[in-house]
Amino acid sequence: MTTQQTSLPRQRAFLVDVERCIGCFTCAMACKNYYHQETGVVWRQLYPLDEAIYPHRERAFFSLACNHCENPACLNACPVKAYEKREDGVVVHHQDRCIGCGNCIRSCPYGAPRYNPVLKKAEKCSLCHERLDAGEQPACVQSCPVRALRLVDIAALSTADAANAVQYPAGYPEMPQVNPSTRFIMPRTPRVVRR
Amino acid sequence: MQNIELPLVLFTVLSQAAVGMALLLAVRSCGCAGGACAATPTTAGTAGTGGNAPGSRTEWLTATIVMGVALLASLFHLGHPEGAVRTLAHLEKAWLSREILAFGAFAALLAVAAVTGKAGAALRGAAALVGLAALYTSGMTYAPPAMPALHNAAPLGFFLLSALLLGASFGSWFAGEGSQPMLRAVLLGSLAAALAVYVIVPCVWASGGTVMQMTARAWLASPLYWARLVLGIVVPLVVMIRSPRIPRWMGPLVLLGELAGRAVFFGATVHAAMNLGIPY
Amino acid sequence: MSKTTGPTGPTGPTGPTGLNGPGGTPSRGAPSRSMSRRSFLKGLIASGALATLPCGLLLPRKASAAPFNKADFQIFRNACPRNCYDTCSMVTYVRDGVVRFVEGAPESTFTAGGLCVKGYAYPRRVYSPDRIKYPMVQDGRGSGNWRRVSWDEAMERIARKLLEIKEKDGNLLGLALTKYSGNFGITNYGVEGMMSSLGYTTRLVGTPCWPAGIDAQNYDMGDMWCNDPEDMEKSRYVIIWGANPAWCSVHSMKYVYAARDRGAKIVVIDPVLTQTSAKGDVAWQPETGSDGALALGMARHVLDLGLVDRDFVANNAVGFEEFAAYLRQNVTVEWAAEKSGIPADEIRRVAEEFATAKPATIWIGYGMQRHVNGGAAVRAIDALVAMTGNVGKVGGGARYGHLQTWGFNYHAMIQKAPAGSIGFTGKAGPKGEFDVTAGAAAAAAYTDRSLNINKTAQELLDAQNPPVRVLWSSCKNPFAQDFDRNKLEKAFDKLEMVVSVEQFFTETVRHSDIVLPVTTLFEEWTVNASYWHYWVSLNEQAIAPMHEAKSNIEIAALLSRHMNRLSPGSCTYPQDIDTKEWMEKEFNKGVYDLLGISHWQDLRKGPAKARMPSSASWSDRTFKTPSGKYEFRSDLCASHGHKALPEYKEGRKAYAPYRLLTPHSKFAIHSQFANLDWMEEFQTEPFVYLNPALARAKGIADLDTVRVFNPTGEVKLRAKITNTVPGDCLLMYEAWFRKLDFNVQNLVDDESADMGAYKTGAPGVAIHDQFADVAIA
Repeated sequence: MTTQQTSLPRQRAFLVDVERCIGCFTCAMACKNYYHQETGVVWRQLYPLDEAIYPHRERAFFSLACNHCENPACLNACPVKAYEKREDGVVVHHQDRCIGCGNCIRSCPYGAPRYNPVLKKAEKCSLCHERLDAGEQPACVQSCPVRALRLVDIAALSTADAANAVQYPAGYPEMPQVNPSTRFIMPRTPRVVRR
Repeated sequence: MQNIELPLVLFTVLSQAAVGMALLLAVRSCGCAGGACAATPTTAGTAGTGGNAPGSRTEWLTATIVMGVALLASLFHLGHPEGAVRTLAHLEKAWLSREILAFGAFAALLAVAAVTGKAGAALRGAAALVGLAALYTSGMTYAPPAMPALHNAAPLGFFLLSALLLGASFGSWFAGEGSQPMLRAVLLGSLAAALAVYVIVPCVWASGGTVMQMTARAWLASPLYWARLVLGIVVPLVVMIRSPRIPRWMGPLVLLGELAGRAVFFGATVHAAMNLGIPY
Repeated sequence: MSKTTGPTGPTGPTGPTGLNGPGGTPSRGAPSRSMSRRSFLKGLIASGALATLPCGLLLPRKASAAPFNKADFQIFRNACPRNCYDTCSMVTYVRDGVVRFVEGAPESTFTAGGLCVKGYAYPRRVYSPDRIKYPMVQDGRGSGNWRRVSWDEAMERIARKLLEIKEKDGNLLGLALTKYSGNFGITNYGVEGMMSSLGYTTRLVGTPCWPAGIDAQNYDMGDMWCNDPEDMEKSRYVIIWGANPAWCSVHSMKYVYAARDRGAKIVVIDPVLTQTSAKGDVAWQPETGSDGALALGMARHVLDLGLVDRDFVANNAVGFEEFAAYLRQNVTVEWAAEKSGIPADEIRRVAEEFATAKPATIWIGYGMQRHVNGGAAVRAIDALVAMTGNVGKVGGGARYGHLQTWGFNYHAMIQKAPAGSIGFTGKAGPKGEFDVTAGAAAAAAYTDRSLNINKTAQELLDAQNPPVRVLWSSCKNPFAQDFDRNKLEKAFDKLEMVVSVEQFFTETVRHSDIVLPVTTLFEEWTVNASYWHYWVSLNEQAIAPMHEAKSNIEIAALLSRHMNRLSPGSCTYPQDIDTKEWMEKEFNKGVYDLLGISHWQDLRKGPAKARMPSSASWSDRTFKTPSGKYEFRSDLCASHGHKALPEYKEGRKAYAPYRLLTPHSKFAIHSQFANLDWMEEFQTEPFVYLNPALARAKGIADLDTVRVFNPTGEVKLRAKITNTVPGDCLLMYEAWFRKLDFNVQNLVDDESADMGAYKTGAPGVAIHDQFADVAIA
């Protein structure tokens, strides 16, 4: 650990390449496959872009889970300190501390924390930090068949990613006060020739 | 419409009723200090403590019970009520922790007044101030960034109005005759203000961002919003314009209106996450 | 419920807390595996023991879970056996005898470590509370009065019935098998073997999937043989024609992207603006079924520009000059534009770009050949690829599919009829594209009786001497896949006994008398190959079968035991088998050499890829046609009643106002997966997709419930309005939802495609030449 500490990522994040994304829901199901959330609870979901943003219905999507914000609304709102922000930027929900008050769910502008009706507690994407710590990719990132979902350190984005990635694309709430870490690459449209 | 969050509806409305009562009690006692209420014993049959000072034991007890019911109701909001005490763990950041602390303190002050049966000016003042502080923490707690329509001073304003409406309506049960005109004035003013606020605020939202607009539409589409506006504000306002004093049934009517309004507040306000993928 | 513990509740293997996750997330779940002291302490912290202290003040402010550790799991190799291009190589993580989660095998460069939305739902599929758990008998077909019976009771009932009809008819042709692509694990051909081992029976032969294209490629090149999809990244120009890999072959998309990243242009041709179209550079939305005209128009332009690969057409092909003459006399770009609706200039531009990019490739989808002119269209596209010199080239090719890696022994399939069996004496063709016994059958005195699987309802109604009395359905869901559902109901009414081998209570099971629970991929041994990529995967048994499920070959063995007990010698199927041994028996030296392995055990280290001389098919330009060359003019094709040249063939005439398209969903493969509650998180109901103009004309608002109807039947569902669908089309995706009676086969009739009989035994079916009307419900 000690030798690696200097190179630890400062803010791990998802990079959602909507241009490459084929809306296949593989990432969302890969999460379910790994964590077996209760019925009705999903940590990652795909949101089709409105036709005002992308002109063809259900042909471009935001694949969203937790944004692991710099200043997380969930963490700030939680009265029992169930949330923790790790050194690498991952926002972890310690479910054992949670009393199910729902305040994080009301507070997160991105809907990341969800209510588990069986445990009567909140839960959310953990960025698979126990997998990260073992040198593995998050389940969703590993699953993407087109590398449209990537794990990046936004403190050290590649030049190409830094040039292409945006923080607040259309259709994504602009919340500078929480500073979400997810970055997006927006899609192009094909030249459509129709009769 | 999402879940109306009944426990939160009860907690916020009842706690605000208690704050309103304590607040107007303090105001009344200031008025008494000026000699306005000294003479007239209450005509309402409230445990006649003789009206030497505002704030009969019954009144304090009532406020305490209301606040107690509010706190009890809030427990039903928790998935794990047994962990309620731990909500105090995050005072440095979480408004909810502060809210619980403030209301805990407020409830304690009410209880002291109710138990001792004698609330001096210091206790009355403290209760009013702590109540107001608690009201402020509520205003902050229920103004999350996820709800653009409420991520502002609106909840605080709503809650303050609720406190005044309920405090005046129920306070009139206990207040001496001398205080009645003042309470009537407070109620009338609050009703007028509430009418303005609850008509104007959705209109302001309607001219805001997408989620605010969605919230405006959801509020205006809710039968509870209209029920509250008519039964909880317009009817009382008309009655109060004509009536020289607050009728006894005004409290329950306003309470019903506030409960309906709060159900709209929790149930129909649109969360930013309901709009993902749609222009924000 | 029976023996196996664990996944009993609705929450799956981890029980009600669910969220333990396979690796154990940091803050929950009692540690259940062996652990060091350190991990125990962490576990204690994690499990919340310390958190019970007031305010959790003693908790270290650090989220350090016990990291995920592969050593905590038993890891098995599996393969997704579904009818899918991708045939994913899987890795299954098992703990305490329970499948915890699955991944894609990283060793396969095709699967590349990830599955798809369906593959990741497997841990739910195997433990679904909806699974059929034991043999059941329905007292009154369709009554829902199911009762549990023992395996012995079920098999004895079936055996007695088979002996009864054999006695009555003097043969077993009254027993019919319907089986197709529900499970492509090689040992599942043991179902056909079971039939053979009983005698000569009736088989529903052919394929609803891809037969017209198979025949077309066989006429042109002598076989269906595609390039390795992984070499698509070397293409300079990619046309994806009537395929939607973004939904139906997600692992192929990375090669499409790689080609584009290297400068290739991606053109997607589809009447619908599919997800793949949206990812292309150019998306053409031609008139449905006009593909042949479009390809011929492009060919004419290539000819006019002099961009024909003269070397190829002169030395490696026959009949090009006749084809060229046909083009000059009968085809113009303007004609193609009129037929397809794609402007002539656009056709010229893409044709020229395609002909000048080297190499260039066309991916011919199965959707575009499900037409009455589908085979002819595939031949026209083949011709376009061939005349531009792209056949036999790395990064080129007319890609359709292949069976190069399917050279197994079919030990389970090849079984002898009992001595003295009487069968059918008419002409016998192949029993489908995977029929390796096709040649041998001709020599025998008797054969099985073939009925056209694409006209299952009509064939069951018409079969005489004897009629079909008993239907055995396995790896197949006739009510979801066979056409004209209303007619099929009538056909089933004629049957004396229906046996379904299934995992879920499908519509077919509802129409059955007996249902037998069959294993999932995790519960049996087998081996799987793809008809698209070149990887072969071992499928290990990862867990004990749930409930009382048995594999298809174990069911066959049990039936054999009962047959022989009641009538010795009446069934030749071995009565005691082990799925692992039988999987081993499928391998041979040819397979080993092709895969570069010395023993099947090598596949436990990961899937193996066929060692082909080139990633390109036909790289030596030696074709398997009668002439040994690419045949622009195929006399064989002509002798089968088609045109010798890849001429244009008219499509089907409309019989209702709008064209009806019923292609594949991304959330399902046919009737599988959409029924799982995990999938319901992402897809809850079907929709019909309408163009805004059509919706306006019909007064339909978004999400209105509508009725889609035609002479075949009717479907009710909600509408979504979208410009991705052309104005004259109604689009809905085939799927089976457990709580709905939605079924696209209410609307699809059994009109045949032009080709398919040559290689698969029966012509294909014109699934996309269907028409319907729509109205507010």
